[in-house]
Amino acid sequence: MGTLTLFQIIVVGVLGMLFIGVVVAGIRGWSTRREAFLWGTLCFVAAVATLRPNLTTDLAKMLSINRGADLITYVAIIMMMIGFWTTYMRLRHLRRELTSLVRHIAILEAHDASSSDATADHAMSEERA
Amino acid sequence: MIRAAATTEPAEADVVSLPSSVRDSTFVVVPAFNEGPALGAVIREIRTIIPNVVVVNDGSRDDTGSIARRCATYTLTHLINRGQGAAIQTGIDFALLKGAAYIITFDADGQHCVEDIPRLLRPILDGECDIAIGSRFLGEATNLPRTRRLVLQAAVLFTRVVNGVRLTDAHNGLRAFSRRAAEKIHIRQDRMAHASEIIDRIKETGLAFKEVPVRIRYTDYSMAKGQSSRGAFRIVFHYLVGKMVD
Repeated sequence: MGTLTLFQIIVVGVLGMLFIGVVVAGIRGWSTRREAFLWGTLCFVAAVATLRPNLTTDLAKMLSINRGADLITYVAIIMMMIGFWTTYMRLRHLRRELTSLVRHIAILEAHDASSSDATADHAMSEERA
Repeated sequence: MIRAAATTEPAEADVVSLPSSVRDSTFVVVPAFNEGPALGAVIREIRTIIPNVVVVNDGSRDDTGSIARRCATYTLTHLINRGQGAAIQTGIDFALLKGAAYIITFDADGQHCVEDIPRLLRPILDGECDIAIGSRFLGEATNLPRTRRLVLQAAVLFTRVVNGVRLTDAHNGLRAFSRRAAEKIHIRQDRMAHASEIIDRIKETGLAFKEVPVRIRYTDYSMAKGQSSRGAFRIVFHYLVGKMVD
């Protein structure tokens, strides 16, 4: 490995800090171990690819892709799509939980016209008037 | 392919008088989102036939809530808007808790006719089916615009291909359920895709269903409140995702 460029120093520095943050989050229980492992691995792979760009080119050639940059693009697109889907599914789950909560409150606080002071019939005559 | 049985009499058939025991054990669920201008009249009309009207105010920002409290038998309030499917399921859950033997779903925009309620209940009362679905194409659709007709017919074709159920009107908000059916069909699609989901549940549960001719009145108000034709694509997306992952 030769002298590091300014770009490599910045990127690896940021990835290093992110890696430490992910590890600490995993240990302290702020995130699940699985999430910490996935993000940690991603940081590590990104740092290796930054420090040794030829590695991605070699890997790309093994997969019959000409350039390392192309391989990174393809992988990024796939990961982005997985990310979108996962986020969509979590959002869907959250929406469903929200609906259950809203429904529960609605039923619990149902307004029954027959038990209120003004009967529905009286109110209906008022409404007509 | 499941084919819906359909009543053959025209929509103008005489209104069947309902025994009081049936009237008292029937609950009409009206999901309402910003329906202030039409809701009062709709509730009044329903209550001439069925006393138990459950309005689910789905997070409206207008006076829907206060009108419902004044006119409806029961008013349930979704603190935030959750969609028509969610509101219908809330109403059904509540009606079941109140001991409903029959449940009707009825739109709040005034497009349905109360005279159709006894027609929908009749095949259930006669033991012919557990679910009666209104069909504007067997009945009458007044002032139905051409684009809306095309979208609805596309929905019918979609239901036929994807669900394998042969219906003439796949997205009619006027339906009747026996208690047994209401307990089995749990709507998970919070928004407009619930209509297709109900057809799915009918197929899954094997409940007997029947299409009944009903009349739909298209007014400027109901057209403005209704789904846009573009919204149909969103419904299809939500429905297909739900079908894949639920």
